[in-house]
Amino acid sequence: MSRGSLRAPSRLRFAISLALLGSFYSPLPAHAQSAREIIDLVDQLMRGESSTARITMDIRTENWDRSLTLRTWSLGADYSLIRVETPQREAGMATLMAGQEVWNYLPRVDRTIKVPSSMMAGSWMGSHFSNDDLVKESRLVDDFSIEIAFNGEREGTEVWEFVLTPLPEAPVVWGKIRYQVRKEDFMPTWTRYYDESDEIVRTMIFSEFRVMGSRLVPSVMTMVPADKPGETTVIRYHELDFDVDLDEDFFSLRNLRRESR
Amino acid sequence: MDDRWIWWRLAWRNLWRNRRRTFITASALAFGYLASVTMIGLWRGMLSEMIETGTNLVTGQLQIHAPDYYPERSMYATLGGREGIDVDELLRLTRDIPGIVAASPRVYGGGLVSSGSETVAGLFVGVDPDLEVEVTRLLQTPAEGRAPRAGEREILIGRGMANVLDVGPGAEVVLVVPASDGSLGNDLYRVSGVFETGLVALDGSFGILPIGSLQELMALPENRIHEVAAAVEDPFSAAALGDSLAAALGASGLDYPVLPRPWTVFRAELAEYASLAGAVNAIVVGIIFIMAVFGVANTMLLGTFERRREFAVVRALGTQPGNVALTVVYEGFILGVVALAAGALISVPVLYWLHNYPPDLSAMFGDFTMSGTVVRPVLRAEYSVDGPVISAVALLLTSILSALYPAYRAVKIMPADALADI
Repeated sequence: MSRGSLRAPSRLRFAISLALLGSFYSPLPAHAQSAREIIDLVDQLMRGESSTARITMDIRTENWDRSLTLRTWSLGADYSLIRVETPQREAGMATLMAGQEVWNYLPRVDRTIKVPSSMMAGSWMGSHFSNDDLVKESRLVDDFSIEIAFNGEREGTEVWEFVLTPLPEAPVVWGKIRYQVRKEDFMPTWTRYYDESDEIVRTMIFSEFRVMGSRLVPSVMTMVPADKPGETTVIRYHELDFDVDLDEDFFSLRNLRRESR
Repeated sequence: MDDRWIWWRLAWRNLWRNRRRTFITASALAFGYLASVTMIGLWRGMLSEMIETGTNLVTGQLQIHAPDYYPERSMYATLGGREGIDVDELLRLTRDIPGIVAASPRVYGGGLVSSGSETVAGLFVGVDPDLEVEVTRLLQTPAEGRAPRAGEREILIGRGMANVLDVGPGAEVVLVVPASDGSLGNDLYRVSGVFETGLVALDGSFGILPIGSLQELMALPENRIHEVAAAVEDPFSAAALGDSLAAALGASGLDYPVLPRPWTVFRAELAEYASLAGAVNAIVVGIIFIMAVFGVANTMLLGTFERRREFAVVRALGTQPGNVALTVVYEGFILGVVALAAGALISVPVLYWLHNYPPDLSAMFGDFTMSGTVVRPVLRAEYSVDGPVISAVALLLTSILSALYPAYRAVKIMPADALADI
């Protein structure tokens, strides 16, 4: 990405950061901020209070490749709705996340099914994301103790690398998460997930940072499972809007069915 | 007179000097034999029942998979890989192996079953209903309703699942299964019936549907299956049959690899239990006959003491001590043979009765579960060759062993002392 294209977002980032951080943001060198504050800021930059998006999900596996076009709505960390637009055969399928629950709407049989807890670790629509990934998208600062593991330059970019260790009571399946964030614009570059025995399980790579919905975001996210070489799920944002007008009623079972007609 | 037999004849006559005592001793041995044979028979009966119920419920006694199917059981690891196979040909070749009585194709899938607001995880087995009944009995007599019919979108579910979903025969349920093309297969199915095995894992999560119907749901073509399950005549030969099946399939020119798995592999705990039971058998038979050894030795010892003076006389007349000892040992051996004949005579009707009219203790105990297998408490004895043979050998050894010490005592008798004792 060229310097020029980063200009606008860079300014924008300042504005947003200031707004979000309020009084505790200061022009001190970055390492003076606590690790928690940085992660919290990144978290909020990435999510926003509410959002809608149109994305494509390209899934590549050993046995098949496929591409889904999805429309998504989200509100806070607790509510989101995903609707399949293409392929035609699956158009109208929808998934609602409300709190810790996941519901699927199946237009073919016109039924809504709650995903039982035993299946939450299962794949969402064949992708390398699980139903749990959709639900447990809680604020990182609530579930992890966070330390800076690296602070300096990597591949020509000033970055922080954080190590996130789950708090004793946190409902988290990971043993550890490593998270690298660019200092210049608080953009994450990758997240590595480890299991209890410190083996890497998967890597999420963030790329193609663009301004969407008047925020700088990584417009492409690539999930790479460690145990399945060659398999990936790539999420690409085509449209993204933040702070849209949505309330909790939108994320109802009734709406899950109705909107898909 | 042939001298060779003189010691045998002496032994024989000695045996009948005290008929009552001999009768009682022989009876003890004969009943020991009966106990031993019956117990081995009952153990075998229980084992075969366990193996049978443990394998003919869903697994069959022998399975054939693609080599990479286990342990992951990936839905893509079908026989013959992506291209699939000629299913009918494989079934025919399998059935042609002597000792294999039936074979049935299967497809497996995991997903969800939903009715109303309830959803449970399910393990789906796609079967050919007509062939499956020859291999397993899950489809044979559902507790409610009937088995699913080929070509219909029907499913037979377990009692546990039916209770959670609150459905019965005739109800509609939604099945959701990840399909082989990455999509989420989903469709409406009618519950054809409900089965009840008493095994929580089975009743709570198994769903059986016609194979074509599951293949359609999972976007698998008809020639892609995960397993052929076979029933064999003698469960103890399943492992050997698996090997000969693999060899026969290889020789018949199949161009894809297969891996047979006998029940001793996928129900290893049953196989282990069977061999453990064999060891327990040996110990109990040992105990029965060790008890007999002391009883018989005691009687024979009494007999030799009674005949102290006779032994002294024959010794004084020049008989070799070894021959005196032999008479006593022969006596024990003959006692053993007589007891064996009597034991066999009483064992035959008892075994016949236990085999053909086994007492059913269900009324007292009800069914119970052992190693994940429902066992009926029916005392059915299984015929076997090794049971009677092992018991017979043990009995004869017992009678000879128990004569050794009395024989030793007989040899130790000092003719002069014994005769002076008058």
